[in-house]
Amino acid sequence: MPGIDECLLEAMTLPGARGAAIVDWTSGLALGSVGDPPGGDHEATAAETAEVARSAAEYQAFAPKDDPLDTARGDTDRKGLPVEDLMVTTRTGFHLIRFVETTFDSSVFLYLWLDRHTGNLALARIRLRDLSERLVLV
Amino acid sequence: MRITASAISPMLMRLAAEQATGALLRDQGTLYLVDGRIVHAESPAAPGIDVLLTAGGALPPQGWQEALSLAGTRHEVGRHLVDSGRVTAGELEMCHIGALFDAAFFVLGPASGPTRFRYGVAHWLGRVRPVAAETVERETRRRRALLDRVWPCPELDTSPVVPRPPAPGQTLTGRQVALLRLADGVRTPTAIAWALGRPTFHTLIEVRRLAAAGLVEPPRTKGPAPPVFPAPLTEDNPEPDIALLRRVRDALEASL
Repeated sequence: MPGIDECLLEAMTLPGARGAAIVDWTSGLALGSVGDPPGGDHEATAAETAEVARSAAEYQAFAPKDDPLDTARGDTDRKGLPVEDLMVTTRTGFHLIRFVETTFDSSVFLYLWLDRHTGNLALARIRLRDLSERLVLV
Repeated sequence: MRITASAISPMLMRLAAEQATGALLRDQGTLYLVDGRIVHAESPAAPGIDVLLTAGGALPPQGWQEALSLAGTRHEVGRHLVDSGRVTAGELEMCHIGALFDAAFFVLGPASGPTRFRYGVAHWLGRVRPVAAETVERETRRRRALLDRVWPCPELDTSPVVPRPPAPGQTLTGRQVALLRLADGVRTPTAIAWALGRPTFHTLIEVRRLAAAGLVEPPRTKGPAPPVFPAPLTEDNPEPDIALLRRVRDALEASL
C-alpha cells in the first residue's frame, strides 16, 4: 500500500528512468514528481502530458461507448478504464503514461520518462501497471 | 524563496516564511498551515474530501462518520482511514491533494474580504501530504489563466449550465455526458461538482471547454439588453409610407 512518493521512487528504480510524476489530466496538476522533467520544469511537463492523456482518454476512437470487441466476447461487465496506457517514443527517450483507476471520481495517470538506450520499455510498462494497481489496492 | 511581483496573498507568503502553524481565514474559506506549509484547505465553493471520497460509494458515509468520531479530536482522521483499511494511502493522498488545490483556488480567489490568521489551529484531517504555500499560490494563478485560455467568460462559473444539442458529428466524452446529465438549467457548475463528487475547478474547466465547443449555452448577461435593430427597408417593401415620403419631399423642396 504505497503512497505517492513511495510509488514514484519505486518507478525511478527501473533501468533508464529519468523522471516520474503523478498527474491529474483534467487540471494539469502534478500531484507529485521526482527526478528530472523532460521539458522546462515538472509543472510544465505535467500540463503538457495532461493534454495528451486527456485526448486519448476522451476521444471516441480510443474510448468508444460500445466496443464491438467487448460485445463479441460477451464481456458485458466492462470494468476498468478503456485506455490503459500510452507510449510516446522520441529520438532520445520513451514517455509512458499509465492511467490510474480510483474508487473516487478522478482523472489521474502515472507518468514515466525513460532513457531510450538504457530503458526497458516492456519491463517499465509492466511495472507501471503493477504500481498503478497497488496505489489503490487496500 | 522566489519573489513574485503580484503575490495573490502577501500574508500567506509572510506566514510561510515565518513557518507559522494555524488557520488562515478568508471569506471564501480557510487554509490550514503547519510549519508554514499548507496541510489542508476548505471552501464552501468546493466539495470537501468527505464528499469526494463518499460520492463514489467505495467509502460509505457511515465509514467516514466513524473515522471522524473516533479520530477527529486527535486530528488523525486521515491516518485512521488508512489504518482501518477503508482507503489506501495512495488514494487518500491523491484525493486530499485534489481537494486541497481545489479549495485553495477559491480561498485565494479575487474579491476577498479581510484575511485573519489564528495561530495554533489544526484541522481534524491531520497531516496527509503538506504542500509549499508558494506552490499553491503558483497553481492558483495557473488555474485562473487556464480557465481564461479555454474560454474567457467568467459568468459561466456561476450561471446555471444549459446544454445545447451537439452538432452533427460532434461527440461527447463520458465525463462530459456525466456532467451534462446533471445540467437541468438550474444547477450551477458548483452544484454539479457537489452532485458528482468531483472538484469544482474540474467542473468549471469542463464547462468552459463545453462552451468553447458550443455544447452549453452562453450565460445570459445581466447588463442592458442588446439594442433591437429595425428590419432594413427593402425595395419590395409592400407598403411604403406615402405620406411620410411626401412630407420629406416637401421639406427638401422648401429648404432648397
